[in-house]
Amino acid sequence: MSDLAFSAIVNGRKISRTAKPSQRLLDFIRDDLNLTGNKEGCGAGECGTCSVFVDGVLMKSCLLPVAKVQGARIDTIESLAKTGELSVLQKAFHKAGASQCGYCIPGMVMAATAALRINPFADREEIKERLGGNICRCTGYQKIFDAVELARDVQNGHLPVTMLDGIDAEQGDYIGKNVSRIDAPSKVSGRLKYAGDMLMPDMLHVHVLRSPHAHAKILSIDTSAAEAMEGVEGVITCADVPGEDGFGVFVHDQPVMARDKVRYVGEAVAAVAAEDPVLARQAAAAIKVVYEPLPALFNAEDALKPGAPVIHDYAPDNVTKHIPIRVGDVEKGFAESDLVIEEHYDTQAIEHAYLEPEAGLAYVDHDGVVVVISPSQNITHHRHMLAKIIAKPIAKVRFIMSPVGGGFGGKEDMIYQGMLALLAMKTGRPVRLVFTREESIASTAKRHPSKTTLRMGFMRDGRIRAVAFKMISDGGAYGLSTEGVMRKAAILGAGPYVIPNLQMDTIGVYTNNTPSGAFRSFGALQTQFATETHLDIACERLGLDPFEIRRINMMRDGATTHTKQKLKSVSIGRVLDAAEKASGWEKGVSGQRYGRGDLGGEGLRPAVALGARFAADTKQEAAE
Amino acid sequence: MARKRGRGMAACWYGIARTATVDRAAAWAEIDDGGSAKIVTGVTEIGEGILTVLAQIAAHEMGLKPEDVVIGDNDTARAPEAAHAGATRQTYMIGNVVALASREARAKLVQVMATMWDVDPVTIRTENGFVFAENTNHKISMGKAVEHCKQRGVVPVGSATFGTDTTGLDGADGSGRPWQAYVFGCQVAEVEVDTVTGEVQVLGVWAAHDVGRAVNPKGVEGQIEGGIVQALGQALMEDYQLQDGHTTTPGFAKYILPTSLDVPQINSIIVEDPDPIGPLGVKGIGEPAMVPTIPAIMNAIYDAVGVRITSLPATPEKVLMAIRAKDREHAQAAE
Repeated sequence: MSDLAFSAIVNGRKISRTAKPSQRLLDFIRDDLNLTGNKEGCGAGECGTCSVFVDGVLMKSCLLPVAKVQGARIDTIESLAKTGELSVLQKAFHKAGASQCGYCIPGMVMAATAALRINPFADREEIKERLGGNICRCTGYQKIFDAVELARDVQNGHLPVTMLDGIDAEQGDYIGKNVSRIDAPSKVSGRLKYAGDMLMPDMLHVHVLRSPHAHAKILSIDTSAAEAMEGVEGVITCADVPGEDGFGVFVHDQPVMARDKVRYVGEAVAAVAAEDPVLARQAAAAIKVVYEPLPALFNAEDALKPGAPVIHDYAPDNVTKHIPIRVGDVEKGFAESDLVIEEHYDTQAIEHAYLEPEAGLAYVDHDGVVVVISPSQNITHHRHMLAKIIAKPIAKVRFIMSPVGGGFGGKEDMIYQGMLALLAMKTGRPVRLVFTREESIASTAKRHPSKTTLRMGFMRDGRIRAVAFKMISDGGAYGLSTEGVMRKAAILGAGPYVIPNLQMDTIGVYTNNTPSGAFRSFGALQTQFATETHLDIACERLGLDPFEIRRINMMRDGATTHTKQKLKSVSIGRVLDAAEKASGWEKGVSGQRYGRGDLGGEGLRPAVALGARFAADTKQEAAE
Repeated sequence: MARKRGRGMAACWYGIARTATVDRAAAWAEIDDGGSAKIVTGVTEIGEGILTVLAQIAAHEMGLKPEDVVIGDNDTARAPEAAHAGATRQTYMIGNVVALASREARAKLVQVMATMWDVDPVTIRTENGFVFAENTNHKISMGKAVEHCKQRGVVPVGSATFGTDTTGLDGADGSGRPWQAYVFGCQVAEVEVDTVTGEVQVLGVWAAHDVGRAVNPKGVEGQIEGGIVQALGQALMEDYQLQDGHTTTPGFAKYILPTSLDVPQINSIIVEDPDPIGPLGVKGIGEPAMVPTIPAIMNAIYDAVGVRITSLPATPEKVLMAIRAKDREHAQAAE
């Protein structure tokens, strides 16, 4: 296709450029105009962070080829605070605490601006409907709705403009005060630069070649065709690693790029640095890898069977980590119990889905220091590992943490920073890698799926007498945080209850699935889901209110935990009281009142079907 | 009636900072020219609001306004180690260490002013950008006080380190001291289950969490709200699926996330049981916020329609199948 003489009015200025007709509007504004306020979150029109106005209409710029918007008036997030002063809506986002990581916020602000332009009197339910095309992974949306309502009321004169101001604390006491977030103005305006927004002079673009096999021996890698391509400045494989090749949060079992074999689909095998991203992708495709597929393991139970294929030589039983906790005599405890309940619980793998896909830059500075800039959640540990991998002293390795567009544990793993460092060293030029959403989902850690068998013995009065808890968890192809997740799962899984006899086992297992790793609530979520559901079952059997059974069993000040630690102060009683009171809990036995029609008091949103919220606005408009 | 309501509850506990290992963090502080402040520590925002929390703590300790505090970038070559952004450790580890470093910087400035005014240092107060001595007419701006310090050859700086008294776990019985601070939480969920489609709407969640001491209550609410909605995603819709190691949920069109239309009204109740060990009494909220949500929702579904979902997520298909199975059982029992 021949190039297009493209012109448009962008943020009020006429611009003319040569563009490929198929170039996405998002890339045009970000790469050609360097307007990086609007982000790419998914590239598929699902997340909304790329939302801009085209002739005043809210559109997802990742779905629009520039040829479709020839001559149009395009407004990006940068258009809203052009004079430097934030719009009312942006100020309201700041005041309401509506931004957290900030990556979705430029798109969210655009969508909210559109909502209030379409209906300046939109109520909360209509606001929700109009923001339905924009995903936020951090805030739970509530503060975003608050912000849009605040902006609406200020714009309509129902609230004074001073409602948007910050606070001054009396006598300088700033602890316990709702100080507005200091980073919010940069986020609501799109000014904050995440790693994928950063440029360096003479920068090369990186593309990673990934494994199509779950488990296969690598017989050969031929990079010669890729290296011969004009504009390809560096190609690396595991052969380029000068030091000890291994990373991981607990056990360093993962090479920077696959060595001898691949262990999951999406594992990095080689990487290319080239003058532009398209060329880098083409060069990666020109690398020839010969694989010999190996029998693969796709669930943890199979991996534990005797004679199962071995994924890591150091762990011939495929066990990454087993954490036991023992208190008292659990069999004796069950024998003494009046009621024993056994149940199985399964939890699934979950994607972190931070809106910012992984991205990073690396360069070698004037002193020979290898510098990596990325949204890493653990630069301290990363620099220790990278120093060993590239065989340099720690002082010659520097990690800079760029703003993190959502992490939730998923950015604790040094999954790509090693490749960036090696390519910067090999080419002598700055390099940048930006993951696609698909690459991020396929290659990075997930929440550990789990299978739990839980047996609890109770006395007739509700006291827990014995607990046997066994969780088997699929850790996937590499160790990452599995050991820590198993540990936290074991320590916390039985809950904050007095349990005289406890047998707890959490077992993380290697398979050929996408690796599992750190994820907010880190094993405690899976295990406490089982325990807290189990207690509800027990309530029904024992004729107890669910708050009551927890009060009967809860640890109190001075309690000894399952790991035999003395606790000075235990606040479980206070939080039970607070939740019971705030919710207006109706005392009763679990499971003996379903189908009741006594609910629906304060503190709820209305129950609605999709689209029903718009009905409200026709009424509203008629009223105005 | 096709739609039935129910309520469920669940409790949780959680440990603060790194698990079963010694955690530590360091910070440098300086009261700077013009009465602003610099805080340098190895930490960056991952969205939770830690930069604002640290600015509040430094402002509180030094007697400045939060907007006068500049926080240096997280850079292993330019900032002291504060380790990782995770484990519900930032307010606890880094908040406490910034308080300690700020106190040291302030003490240097206070000493200079006490000598100059010939008053007891304990009578000197620093608030909102001013320095004054109680029961005297001495009152100057923080900027002026810094000038006085520098004329006397003193740069008001401080540094501090904060570590935990923790141990690993015994390999045989798991005994040990994994954390020095624990938090507790409890949530109630109200749901509406459509018995024709199996769809579950979570309409309200009441969440009571002990956070030690809330530095920024709105930030704490933000963590609770975000955590609950992430947990709601795992409870009802999210599911990363693989077929022979290849994902069948490769993008957001297939991997379904909660949107603004799915979220309940969240009612947060902040409970403060201060940590007796750290200088601020703070603990944390990031991770515990999402622990009780899933069982509270599942228990609420049971309360509404009498089916126990023990395998996540509780998709409409799964809930509907469970309802039908229960109805069949009832029908058989009736025969």
